[in-house]
Amino acid sequence: MKTQKKGGAVKWILITICVIFLAVFLILPLIYILSTAFRDGISSYIKAVTDEYAVKAALLTLKATFFAVVINTIFGLFASWCICKFTFRGKKVLSTFIDLPVTVSPIIAGLIYILTFGRQSFLYPILDDMGIQIIFAVPGIILATIFVTFPFISRELIPVLTAQGTDEEEAAALMGANAFTIFKNITFPHIKWALLYGIVLCAARAMGEFGAVSVLSGHLRGKTNTLPLYIELLYQGYDFTGAFASSSILMIFAIIVLILRVILEQRGKKERG
Amino acid sequence: MRRKKSRSVIPGFGISLGVTLTILSLIVLIPLCSLVVFSAKLSFSDFIRAVTGARVLSSYYVSISTALIASLINAVMGLILAWVLVRYDFPGKRLVDGIIELPFALPTAVAGISLTHLTTTNGWVGSFFYNIFGIKIAYTRIGITAALVFIGIPFVVRAVQPVLEKVDHECEEAAMLLGADPGTTFRKVIFPEILPAMISGFTLAFARSIGEYGSVVFIAGNTPYKTEIAPLMIMAQLQEYDYASATSIALVMLVIAFLILSVNAFLQSMAARRVSGLA
Amino acid sequence: MEIQNSSSIELRGINKSFGSFQASKDINLTIQGGRLVALLGPSGSGKTTILRMIAGLEQPDSGEILIDGKVVNDVPGSERGIGFVFQSYALFRYMTVYDNIAFGLRVKRVPKKEVDSRVKELLKLIGCEGLEKRYPGQLSGGQRQRVAFARALAPNPRILLLDEPFAAIDAKIRLELRSWLREMITRLGITSIFVTHDQNEAIEVADDIIVTNEGRIEQSGSAAELYSSPRTPFVVKFIGNSVLVDNYYEFRSFSRAEADTVGVIRPEFVEIYKTSEDIRYSRSADEGYVRDIIFRGSSIEVKVDIHGNLISAIRSINDAPLEIGEKVWVFVYRMFLIGKDGVRLVENSALRENSIVI
Repeated sequence: MKTQKKGGAVKWILITICVIFLAVFLILPLIYILSTAFRDGISSYIKAVTDEYAVKAALLTLKATFFAVVINTIFGLFASWCICKFTFRGKKVLSTFIDLPVTVSPIIAGLIYILTFGRQSFLYPILDDMGIQIIFAVPGIILATIFVTFPFISRELIPVLTAQGTDEEEAAALMGANAFTIFKNITFPHIKWALLYGIVLCAARAMGEFGAVSVLSGHLRGKTNTLPLYIELLYQGYDFTGAFASSSILMIFAIIVLILRVILEQRGKKERG
Repeated sequence: MRRKKSRSVIPGFGISLGVTLTILSLIVLIPLCSLVVFSAKLSFSDFIRAVTGARVLSSYYVSISTALIASLINAVMGLILAWVLVRYDFPGKRLVDGIIELPFALPTAVAGISLTHLTTTNGWVGSFFYNIFGIKIAYTRIGITAALVFIGIPFVVRAVQPVLEKVDHECEEAAMLLGADPGTTFRKVIFPEILPAMISGFTLAFARSIGEYGSVVFIAGNTPYKTEIAPLMIMAQLQEYDYASATSIALVMLVIAFLILSVNAFLQSMAARRVSGLA
Repeated sequence: MEIQNSSSIELRGINKSFGSFQASKDINLTIQGGRLVALLGPSGSGKTTILRMIAGLEQPDSGEILIDGKVVNDVPGSERGIGFVFQSYALFRYMTVYDNIAFGLRVKRVPKKEVDSRVKELLKLIGCEGLEKRYPGQLSGGQRQRVAFARALAPNPRILLLDEPFAAIDAKIRLELRSWLREMITRLGITSIFVTHDQNEAIEVADDIIVTNEGRIEQSGSAAELYSSPRTPFVVKFIGNSVLVDNYYEFRSFSRAEADTVGVIRPEFVEIYKTSEDIRYSRSADEGYVRDIIFRGSSIEVKVDIHGNLISAIRSINDAPLEIGEKVWVFVYRMFLIGKDGVRLVENSALRENSIVI
């Protein structure tokens, strides 16, 4: 194309700017994490990541991630179906509230749970009588994780369902299919890749959440420390090798997520096209 | 009432709205309400005292100014990145496209500590800037800005990219045929089309940056009056169990975020109105 | 394959609004069993809304919908015995052609063997045998429409509703499909309503046409009736290739009726002659100038300027050729006059005098 040839110089200048930018901001940190994690050799790396407290932190992170994914998947499916397939009053308000958790500072997310379940809340005596502790304990960590990843799945599903329209569902409903059949046979095939990607993204964010969890965690080593909190602890104790070794685990998950994203997006495109 | 009459043929509205509202209430609405309830109990003078302390005021300034600069950088870089990804073919394009979302996927704390170590005066990048220009990055506002650039870049790219893909090639070709040079075509034909998306990406990145904690707290150094960010002030009050002050500062931050998002919503509806012709 | 019985449809006093937009205003209509009816109107005239209300996809704000004399307002669409062909066809993209057609039967728990024989029968009917394993994305536009048609027919509906069935198809295949659809529906004898904005399509396919405009029904009847005796100004203007003439009384042999009357002239009301040609009613013909000549394939459309109006006329390919700017004689046989109290057809008075019927 003629225009492309003309812009040849511009093209390579822009590409170079982008590559330098990405290399400095995104790639260099990754390399740095790995090089620091391994700077004392493989054996100290393995020792760092198999440390009792590291493993416990990782397990707690997985637990919180599991709950966040399950709750947000259920929510995402119902919410996106509801928003995209029906017209009702208050739909815009509903969408706004669903997206709210992403724009709220994670620290504030933590704060609102403290205000809800903390000592000064009217819920506190009731929960205390039942022996349930939420803040500075595992349930708080799980709630905070759900909150910060709340819209991740519905946000992936809504654009796909909106683009698909409601004709197919209406056609099926006119033939007498029930809600479950319509969802399973008609809607679900459209969203399966987007759903999978949403789950992957939600899991990645859930694993890495720091601020909100930091507010709600009691910072008890081996009890209420998630992996990111454990990393902070090591870092502040000047155990950089340990901190970066644990970081490398989360980093590998992040990279897997990015690769999955590309694959899932391609799958989705291929099926739609 | 009308309710029953306006139902859709597609079954399952009741249950899906029910489940949606239940989970939304439990996770988002009730905790938010408790914030409102708790704020209502604050006395006005305590509120003013909590949010106008010199240290708190300077933390707002640090948060907003660094977030603003970082988001402006992101708006420009995001546009260039989106442009390069949509318009050009080059080896490694898939890799670039994939890695844009790294800041979404990489835990903020991990990003925070690695950016800090890279930019200290003896870090890989920091030593370069310190030895040649005498600029310190880590533990300064420059460092905070750098961390916020990292956090915010995907917001702009992912907002602009799909819009840029949809820009009608025929409009561009028409402009070219009418004699516009590529620069004019970009400014007059393409840029107005992607401006709303750019603004939207900018405001999202801005709002997110003001509240960002994990990636900033390590690189900031947290020197009072200089590099303390607003979320850190909330955190500090929480650690002293001073929920009243923490809530007051949080309320101000929420108002700021709300204002930013409202301005965006207003600009978006203006742009939409202009395009759809509903003046 | 026979459809045992086909239902009659009646709408009584239907009103429907979407927000501040009133899509249906006091709709009353009756469709007898077995008829093939077109809902014809410009876009936004409320025709699709009527169709969707009959299907139960929308609920009227007031009024009654009756199928076979029974009010069905509270009967869900799936129990009204209708088949619906969507404008987009709404084929299930992740199901094969076979599964698409079988869907309506399977959700009704029809035994597997019956489903199979019914699907095969329908595939044969629509001439798509061998395509059962394909996905909708792998079909041509015409095939998609046929599959959508078969899918709607599978559960043996007594009413078939089609929303702009030809809108998404290429011009050439569209003509083929029109006659195919007409033949199919006539053979099955099923009550059918289809929505269209194309009057040629309505005239060609439908037994009866219901003309809608701004949420109201303007007129219904056969194509011939709509042509020869339009009852409302809208129908006069909408049907046929009509030209509005304000100064109709300046035409020879047409006299002024009321102050605010407008004349409407269609190409078939007009004949043009070269000045050199013999003309029977020379005294009643008007002078005109050729402004444009449009080759229509089987005929030639000529636009003639008469008294400041640009009127269309049809000339045969075999007639002597005209040139742009040429002066011609124009004889207007008749025109519609739209007045305060309705529409009248007025003949050229010269015809009356000679009592000649054209």
